[in-house]
Amino acid sequence: MAFDPKILSFFCHWCCYAAADSAGVARYQYPPNNRVIRVMCTGRIDPRFIIEAFYAGADGVLVGG
Amino acid sequence: MASKKSGKVLVLGGGITGVQAALDLADLGYYVYLVEKKASIGGVMAQLDKTFPTNDCSI
Amino acid sequence: MEAGRSPNIEIITLAELKELSGKPGNFKAKLHIRPRYVDPLKCTSCGMCTTYCPKEVVDEYNERLTFTKAARIDYAQAVPTVYYLDEKECLRLQHESCQLCANVCGPNAIVFDQQPEERELEVGAVVLALGFGRVPEEVLEKYGYGKYPDVLTSLELERLTCASGPTEGEVIRPSDFAHPQRIAFLQCIGSRDVTCDNGYCSSVCCMYAMKEASVVKEHLPEAQIDLFFMDIRTQGKGFDEAFNRAVEKYGFRTIYARVPRVDQVGRRLALTYVTEDGKTHRDFYDMVVLSVGLDAPADAEVLSQRLGVELNHYGFAKTRVAAPLETNVPGIFVAGAFQGPKDIPESVVQAQGVAAECSELLAEVRGKDAIHKEFPPEDEELERLEPRIGVFVCHCGVNIAGVVDVKEVARYAASLPGVVYTEDVLYSCSQDTLNELVKKIRENRLNRVVIAACSPRTHEPLFQETLREAGLNPALIEMANIRDQCAWVHAEDPEAATEKAKDQVRMAVAKAARLAPLELQRVSVTPSALVIGGGAAGLQAALSVANQGFEVYLVEREAELGGNLRRVTGLLSGEKPQKILEDLIKQVESHPKIRVYKGTTVENVSGYVGNFTSTLRREEGSEVINHGVVILATGGREHRPERFGLGENERVLTQLDLEAELERRGGKLSRARSIVMIQCVGSRGDDLKYCSKLCCQQAVKNALRIKKRYPKKDVYVLFRDMRTYSFSEDAYREARKAGVIFLRYQPESKPELITKGKRLAVKVYDALLGEELLLPADLLVLSVGIAPGENEEISKVIKAPLTGDGFFLEAHAKLMPVELPVEGVYVCGLAHAPKPLDETLAQARAAAAKAAIPLAKGFVEVAPIVSRVDQARCIGCGICAELCPYGAIEMVKVGKRKKAQTITASCKGCGICASHCPVLAISMGGFTDEAILAQIEAFGAFVEREAEGKSKEEKAA
Repeated sequence: MAFDPKILSFFCHWCCYAAADSAGVARYQYPPNNRVIRVMCTGRIDPRFIIEAFYAGADGVLVGG
Repeated sequence: MASKKSGKVLVLGGGITGVQAALDLADLGYYVYLVEKKASIGGVMAQLDKTFPTNDCSI
Repeated sequence: MEAGRSPNIEIITLAELKELSGKPGNFKAKLHIRPRYVDPLKCTSCGMCTTYCPKEVVDEYNERLTFTKAARIDYAQAVPTVYYLDEKECLRLQHESCQLCANVCGPNAIVFDQQPEERELEVGAVVLALGFGRVPEEVLEKYGYGKYPDVLTSLELERLTCASGPTEGEVIRPSDFAHPQRIAFLQCIGSRDVTCDNGYCSSVCCMYAMKEASVVKEHLPEAQIDLFFMDIRTQGKGFDEAFNRAVEKYGFRTIYARVPRVDQVGRRLALTYVTEDGKTHRDFYDMVVLSVGLDAPADAEVLSQRLGVELNHYGFAKTRVAAPLETNVPGIFVAGAFQGPKDIPESVVQAQGVAAECSELLAEVRGKDAIHKEFPPEDEELERLEPRIGVFVCHCGVNIAGVVDVKEVARYAASLPGVVYTEDVLYSCSQDTLNELVKKIRENRLNRVVIAACSPRTHEPLFQETLREAGLNPALIEMANIRDQCAWVHAEDPEAATEKAKDQVRMAVAKAARLAPLELQRVSVTPSALVIGGGAAGLQAALSVANQGFEVYLVEREAELGGNLRRVTGLLSGEKPQKILEDLIKQVESHPKIRVYKGTTVENVSGYVGNFTSTLRREEGSEVINHGVVILATGGREHRPERFGLGENERVLTQLDLEAELERRGGKLSRARSIVMIQCVGSRGDDLKYCSKLCCQQAVKNALRIKKRYPKKDVYVLFRDMRTYSFSEDAYREARKAGVIFLRYQPESKPELITKGKRLAVKVYDALLGEELLLPADLLVLSVGIAPGENEEISKVIKAPLTGDGFFLEAHAKLMPVELPVEGVYVCGLAHAPKPLDETLAQARAAAAKAAIPLAKGFVEVAPIVSRVDQARCIGCGICAELCPYGAIEMVKVGKRKKAQTITASCKGCGICASHCPVLAISMGGFTDEAILAQIEAFGAFVEREAEGKSKEEKAA
């Protein structure tokens, strides 16, 4: 069976979150494997968040900023 | 004596210039009539595909 | 969107100005409003009318490349988001034969018998922002447009590359739908062309051609793209750099030639053109794109007659350099492309500047007619209760519901902890639903709200306002983005999209449960401005702020006001620059609200928007002042490189030196028989990486002035690209007619100075003759460009970043051209980038408008996302203050210890401080550790479910 990763994404409000919105407006299609948490800046991301994400079972963490 | 002037401004044209002028005037404490001859504001800029990454002008 | 939401902007569409009477401050305007045939209060923009409308019409919005319906909206995000019936096309309105739209319209919004309306408005000022018009098709036909299907306009290509356009972003040629492999862009179509009466340069095409070529290349990496230029005119801030980068990255070929002839040969297009060496070439292309210029707006003539506004000979509004935003009629202002062809940043600058003009005129009645929204008091008791969460799942018509099973998501939400109410709604953002939302919040005593809909970036402010209307703190809402980042991007997998929507809702609910009310912070503002720099920009900015009714401190380092403008002795428009300067200085010095500090420097600026404190130092001693905002008008300086003997030989001058000579009787100029001007000495690569924007105009101006006084003298201008954009192209043409000789040189073979005894000559390669020329230069005039002033010091004091070139970096190159990343600090004039006088004066007013906004409000409102330091926990290490990119954390003494403290008004809520605080003493409003960790934990359920699913599958197998 193919690997179906579960990815937690932290997106910066100003850039990557906006880009993800634009991808939607442009109707780009991508696999539904990610779940998004919006932050005001990737600088907000405490290393603890990433560890907790893996602890919660994420196969990958995407920090977009 | 209170001034008899009107505190309202008429902006003709709903393109990026008109919209920006209206926003700033409203922020400065004036009431703005933004008048556009078409069915929606945005002007030519709304027709452009990519001008800059955020596309958050009038839309 | 923003304009659509402001209570102080009333958008009136389908309307025209019929009549204007009265005087500045008291105009009466008569509008004629055409019927929309759709009730905007009822329309939910669901799109059913378009779906069922049987009448297909050519889609003008998509440049006639596709079809739309008679009942339609031009594009999904249009403001107002209300459909309309096309009167000319609608079967019902034309033939009384159909009413399908009315039958399918759920909210009964269609009104066939709506009548045109006349409306009379009372206004204090009028702004003409008519934009630009289209170059007539006859002009395009000369280049095969209309005759050969694969000749497109630039705007057509714009729609083709758009993902939501007629081809969904696929670049194909119309004749056979194949991907074009060789594409040519032809510049100056309907610009710089006297045969179609558009003698001016449209100022934007060089940039947009490069942008479109780059976008096409992204779509079709194999394509080979050639661009045909007369001159490359990328004079704006950072444009040269972007242009060169694109050429290098995508391997574009740029060819200097007059516009080629276009013929169709077989299935391809043949371009015949003559390059500058006089050789004729013929090349074949699959597609030809016409970079069409900007024409005067079509309705300008009728309107100008109605209003008595003068137009120039091209049909644009006539303005003066001294007052670029004023028409000849007092109280009627102009901005944007109608004032002259210009790009987006320039238009935004003028829009902001024109706001200052109106605000100056109407300063005494500011706020008189503005509407202030009142909200009910917050129900703090309710907010303190255990979370009572309401979840609203939006269909967004079919946008979400077409993919995601919204009813299922709503059912699922009801099972989540803390959720006491759920509902699926058709359009969560429509006004009637918002009213319902307020009711539901009250009825169900909700104290937390989750909206599962579109993006919080665009819609959170709207829902926050709704919460306030319902008596809740605006921080108590969380959005789950199940449209832009779910339904739209997983359209092919509805099941997975529904699961994802559930997960995002669960995560949002988890966060919502941990949201706390946040106080909307208001910081009061000292109603005065500090303007640094007393040149043209500073003078105009100071005057505008003062005319708007606020105190101004104007600081000039030198003993005299005026800056660089003091050395300018003529303008292309014929206006007298010294008169303009004198007027400005006189008004500034006599203004009761302006205090002028000459021979003064600004030493120390501390504080934040609304509350700055600065030290002004002059010989007599220093003075500390308080002010609410800062305008940087620190100017630039003439770049004087040691090239071509400048500084050694007295017959080598700069253009500014020449301006002085031109005022003198006798002197060097009268003795010289042959004058050579060299452009880009220093600019565009030598010492300064950028284009200095105004040198070409200045050279043409001075060449013309020489020719006018001494018609027999020879004047040569050696240039790389003549950048006489907009109407200054007229002067370029006039100079050529007057006998000024213009010769292009390539950066690889720059002109050389030859000295023979006392005589000077310039050696330059002439492409047309194919040989080197030796031009006698009794006077050599260098266009030396503009270097940044002493921006570096101020940048450190204010913590405002500079560009690599040493000018101040604006907050957003297109939409925030006078704002800096530091709140409350604005920039204009040469401190921002090199530019001519009219643009400087417009920008100074723009900065004055932006600076006056916090002064006019009297307070700064801060979104409650800012950081807060728990000073009991803080150990005073100072890491946060060090790292904060906005200078929004200061270290203060509390008792004996240093503690961090957030400057609320400067904080942008990025949270860098919180993530680096070693003792977790900093919390971020709305983005607390607790809330984010709860989201992460809620994410875990997604993993569990997947794991369950897998084990089931395995068992089944």
